[in-house]
Amino acid sequence: MNTISELMTHDHRDCDGIFARAEELASDGDWADAAAALKKFADALNAHFDAEESTLFPAFEQATGMTQGPTMVMRHEHQNMRDTLAALQYALDKQDADDFAGEAETLLIMMQQHNMKEESVIYPMLDSRLPGDEQERLSASVGKHLVEARAA
Amino acid sequence: MMGPGLSYDDTPPFSAPVRFFLTAPLFGVVAGLTLLFGGEILVSRWTPGALAITHLFAAGFMLQVMLGALLQVMPVVAGASMPAPLRIAGVTHVAMTLGTAGLAYGLGAGAPDVLLGGAVLLVGGLFVFLSAAALGLSRGARTGNNTRTPRDLRMAFAGLVVTAALGFSLVLVLTRGLALPVPLPTVVNLHAGWGWMGWAAVLLAAASWVVVPMFQITAAYPQRFTTLWAPAVTATLVLWTLAEYFAIDTARFIAIIALGLLGAGYAGTTLYLQAHSRRSKPDTPFLAFREAMYAALAGVLVLVISLWSDADWWPILAGVLILHGGFGGTITAMLYKIVPFLAWLHLTQAGLKAPNMKKLLPDTPIRRQLRVRSASLATLCLAVFVPILAPVAGIVLAVEFGWLFANLLRVVRARRDAAKAAVPRPGSHAST
Repeated sequence: MNTISELMTHDHRDCDGIFARAEELASDGDWADAAAALKKFADALNAHFDAEESTLFPAFEQATGMTQGPTMVMRHEHQNMRDTLAALQYALDKQDADDFAGEAETLLIMMQQHNMKEESVIYPMLDSRLPGDEQERLSASVGKHLVEARAA
Repeated sequence: MMGPGLSYDDTPPFSAPVRFFLTAPLFGVVAGLTLLFGGEILVSRWTPGALAITHLFAAGFMLQVMLGALLQVMPVVAGASMPAPLRIAGVTHVAMTLGTAGLAYGLGAGAPDVLLGGAVLLVGGLFVFLSAAALGLSRGARTGNNTRTPRDLRMAFAGLVVTAALGFSLVLVLTRGLALPVPLPTVVNLHAGWGWMGWAAVLLAAASWVVVPMFQITAAYPQRFTTLWAPAVTATLVLWTLAEYFAIDTARFIAIIALGLLGAGYAGTTLYLQAHSRRSKPDTPFLAFREAMYAALAGVLVLVISLWSDADWWPILAGVLILHGGFGGTITAMLYKIVPFLAWLHLTQAGLKAPNMKKLLPDTPIRRQLRVRSASLATLCLAVFVPILAPVAGIVLAVEFGWLFANLLRVVRARRDAAKAAVPRPGSHAST
């Protein structure tokens, strides 16, 4: 049985891998394959955000009583990343390699500092504050959601 | 209850860390000018000029950047924020800048009162910073964090305290005739060893555990390695210190070799991970980071040679490779990531449309500055063996850091211009 930390951290790394692939294809000027890879990345990223916003963050808020704190910041950062993802998509549509590289760099750093916060604060708090059976239930349903979103 | 330090209120204002980042390269410029006008400084590690340059670099460049970065990164990696970051930054920055200038001038020009004044300011500034950091860390979220970074940050702080204490006692020897229980060169070696490994390397490693896998998209460092590395370094430093105090030569020798192996182990592991990065086209700062790891490995090798050879140039060459090549290279690479991101972050948090990272600082000026950096390292290494080249190395060093300053200033200006243009970020108010 995976902890929520392990499950979500693993998903972060998976997203990173798909992101690196899209970045590489775009820098090679292989725009068709880059578009496919970016689509795959966007799906994975959105599935991850959805799982957090609809399941994990509410559980965090309930367990800690903090509704205006960390999760609010995380939701806001998700929105920033969605915006940058849109800018990345726009650069891809224009086949503008420079813009793509700049937006990709921005998204990568934004994503990683966000991941750091989740992995060092949010997930460990979920692991330690939620009762064992609740953790198991959440982890199973989030895991299923992530797998289904990838398969879709 | 108080939330962990993730809220926007916990992000220190832009100017808090940036003042450190902009001041740091200026000390590098002064180090270059000292080398240019200082004559045959590099013939031995004991020349007043060499001592001045070492401190301009270690306390002026490395320490300034590291403190600025800590202000920024503690909320992110340790869930801990400093109380009153702007005020703490203001006080420490002024004290450390004046203190480092006094210390370097006092050492270089042989001015005891300036040296003592500088040391008092430097240690005082550090005391304020470390007290605030300790307070922040003690209030930080207890999270069962899955990285070793928060623990290693604490160890690096302890290493810095020991370095500062040894350094201050040396200043008292030079200025007030304090009597030491061990020979002065031994205390100097311990001061340098604790500074290099106990403070700088442990801090760099603590950052690397997080930064290398995340930003360069590599596998994680092996867990056993990150669990043991910093405690092993600190324990070895303690054993070495005891061996020096009790003058046990074998233990001393083993401890120094062990420290070298630990340093090489960190650099080697990092190179291995970087070689297997999933970002197949490494960007320029990434390449600079790798070059720094190679320089550090070479530095360790030279340091080991210096244990057997009495030639004056080995310790100097080791110092050049480790300080300028290793720490200087990694710090420069990180600055090129941190400063544009901070500019972007603060614009975005203000609800403004921020230019992307490469518009804030394009690749070309970074690449050019880093080429000068490589040239600077090569010339410094040559100048160790060919003293007549020292002024040339000084010029290249000054250009390297002047250029770094210009590149960072460019980001600050780009941020200001973007803030003036003040276009609301599209979608920033859209709800999800």
